[in-house]
Amino acid sequence: MKQRALWSAVLIAVLAMSGCGSASGPKEADKGSNGGKLVVWDWKSGDATAASYIKKAKADFAKSHPDTTVEFVAQPFEQYYTLLGAAIQAGKGPDVMLFNGGGQIRDRVDSLVAIDEYIAGDKQRLAGWDAFGKAGKTYAAPVTLQGHPIYYNKALYKKAGLNPDSPPRTWTEFLANCAAIAKAGAKCFGQGNKEGIGIQFFMSGLGSGILTPKEYDDWIAGKRDWQAPGVKRLFQLWKEVSDAGLNTDGANSTAMFNDAFAQFQSGKAAHMIGLMSDIGHWKDFNEFLKPENVGVMIAPVVTDGATPSLPYDGGIGYAVAKWTKDPKLAADLVRSLTSTDALASFYADAGAIASDTTIDVSTAGPAVATIVADLKSGKPALHVALSSKTIDLMGRLSQQLISGSVTVDEALKQLAASDKPA
Amino acid sequence: MRGERLAPYVLVAPAILIIVALRLWPLALGVNFSFTGDGDRDGAVVGLDNYIDLFRDPLFQTALRNVGLLVLLLPIAVAIPGLLATFIYLRVPGHRFFRSVYFFPAVLSPVIVGAIFNLLLAFDGPLNAVLGTVGLGPVDWLGDPDVAMFAVVGVHIWATFGMALVVFLAGFATLDGALLDAARVDGASLPQVIWHVIIPGLSRTIQFVFVTTMIGMLTSMFGLLYVMTSGGPEGSTYLPEYFIWIQQGQMNRPALASAASTVLFVIMLVVGLLQLSLLRRAVKES
Repeated sequence: MKQRALWSAVLIAVLAMSGCGSASGPKEADKGSNGGKLVVWDWKSGDATAASYIKKAKADFAKSHPDTTVEFVAQPFEQYYTLLGAAIQAGKGPDVMLFNGGGQIRDRVDSLVAIDEYIAGDKQRLAGWDAFGKAGKTYAAPVTLQGHPIYYNKALYKKAGLNPDSPPRTWTEFLANCAAIAKAGAKCFGQGNKEGIGIQFFMSGLGSGILTPKEYDDWIAGKRDWQAPGVKRLFQLWKEVSDAGLNTDGANSTAMFNDAFAQFQSGKAAHMIGLMSDIGHWKDFNEFLKPENVGVMIAPVVTDGATPSLPYDGGIGYAVAKWTKDPKLAADLVRSLTSTDALASFYADAGAIASDTTIDVSTAGPAVATIVADLKSGKPALHVALSSKTIDLMGRLSQQLISGSVTVDEALKQLAASDKPA
Repeated sequence: MRGERLAPYVLVAPAILIIVALRLWPLALGVNFSFTGDGDRDGAVVGLDNYIDLFRDPLFQTALRNVGLLVLLLPIAVAIPGLLATFIYLRVPGHRFFRSVYFFPAVLSPVIVGAIFNLLLAFDGPLNAVLGTVGLGPVDWLGDPDVAMFAVVGVHIWATFGMALVVFLAGFATLDGALLDAARVDGASLPQVIWHVIIPGLSRTIQFVFVTTMIGMLTSMFGLLYVMTSGGPEGSTYLPEYFIWIQQGQMNRPALASAASTVLFVIMLVVGLLQLSLLRRAVKES
């Protein structure tokens, strides 16, 4: 018994002393690229659809750097940022790594090199840089573009007696269409908000028709006023759409990936705010509904004076780690990973809208043609500008708005408090 | 002489070194880390800031409340396998069949169980279809914050009660059959037999099952939560483990996650010590 008491005392002493101990932040570069080797982390290179993309990028890089070997390490996406966080903490991460645009990369720029001086030659050719920048510096080169077109099922439009080739331009017209579609036995929106993603798609997909151009630009510039009339209207609309039964049933327990998309693909819902790349996009929908039945519309005008546009940003992009030995070499690899040739295969095999706007997409069906045509006038998506913390809170509040346990005013108050710069 | 005195220390040294190097030292590092900052304040000593953040965070409060809920639901999680084991022991018709069937879910991984019940409990899923045929409105099992936690705990109990059932059956093997016969001769009813003969006879087994079920509930619900609710809806199904994972992986706040881990460690320590003392007292009594 005495022994046990002694050991407990030792344990407690150790724990207590460690409390006043020193801090352990990330250590400066002690490893990184060894010799002529670059290590790349991503969650794509293991996919069969990305094989020819990686091959072409590697070949392009080998042309100028024949002595450097490149190793791709594919991590599982669900754990990617957890693993990356641990590697950053230890200062022993890869030289080049893949990031999602927006909050994920902005939260981690402390560990990255600004690559502006290396990629100046690509600035014109590629689109979607904003999602990888912070405070005027660029930290990654975009590979794909990600955005939120509003897809609609032309077959359902026909069935409901609507003209599939003239999508609604105003919210009133949109609601009238939804009423006709309801009579034809389908819901208006395919909705999945189990992970809180539904509100993100809704915000970005419809936002440009709700916020005035000034409100929109201020929002993207970081001057977000959560009490602005347009912002308030957006959240009211989210609740109204749900209350009016326009969403598919059980939105809060339906996963956006991929149950909500499945509802659209099986014709249970006429509209779906989807994605442009990777998943839940034109390529998936084309397979199920046939390319001629997949339409893309620009957001209907809810507020007078709003100018609807296609919301999109850089989707995924490669960044260079601070601890790499030769940032120029790593940046060259990033340039190879975003070369026209490599990106053309990524577009063709993986079904992504690539960041390179010079790629020919005329064979992929009308939906893609509409999306690419809308890119020029497009603007960054609203939700991408938010921090992961605010996004997480917004997801939970959006569920509460649907269930009625929080009011729009209360939700906006909480979001404004969360969105304050730390 | 001196060699002999040193021998025991040398012999236990490897074990102690392993425990210190691989358990206690990382634990101390983790606790230490929880007193430093995240993001801009990375590496700086911030005192108790993380803990203050933590207890102000409504999500962490929900997670702690849910731990309390699990403790309250513990008797049900123990009573179900106990009752079913009693029926098998009393040889209800088909008891051999039930014995193997009840154990079956225990071999499935939580991810598979979660995926199966995601389908069954979906809003347009089979369970709601069955309820619909008898005129009951659909319940949003995983989308209603008042229901979701109970749904997940119910699935967890379904998936794990087989193990407790086996422990109970082992306990029954030590029960004196003569006592049961005597009770029957005296004309005791089934509830009376259970209450006055079986429960006192199995008190040690019951306590053991209480301890293991509690530990199972607190430490192995992550897989189910991840697959079935992702902590939602409205954050209503958060548990400390899930909170730690989100803060570390998604929010990029490893130090806050360390603080939460330390709190979870203390909770487990207290629960574990309480249960150990309970067990020890039970052993003494018998």
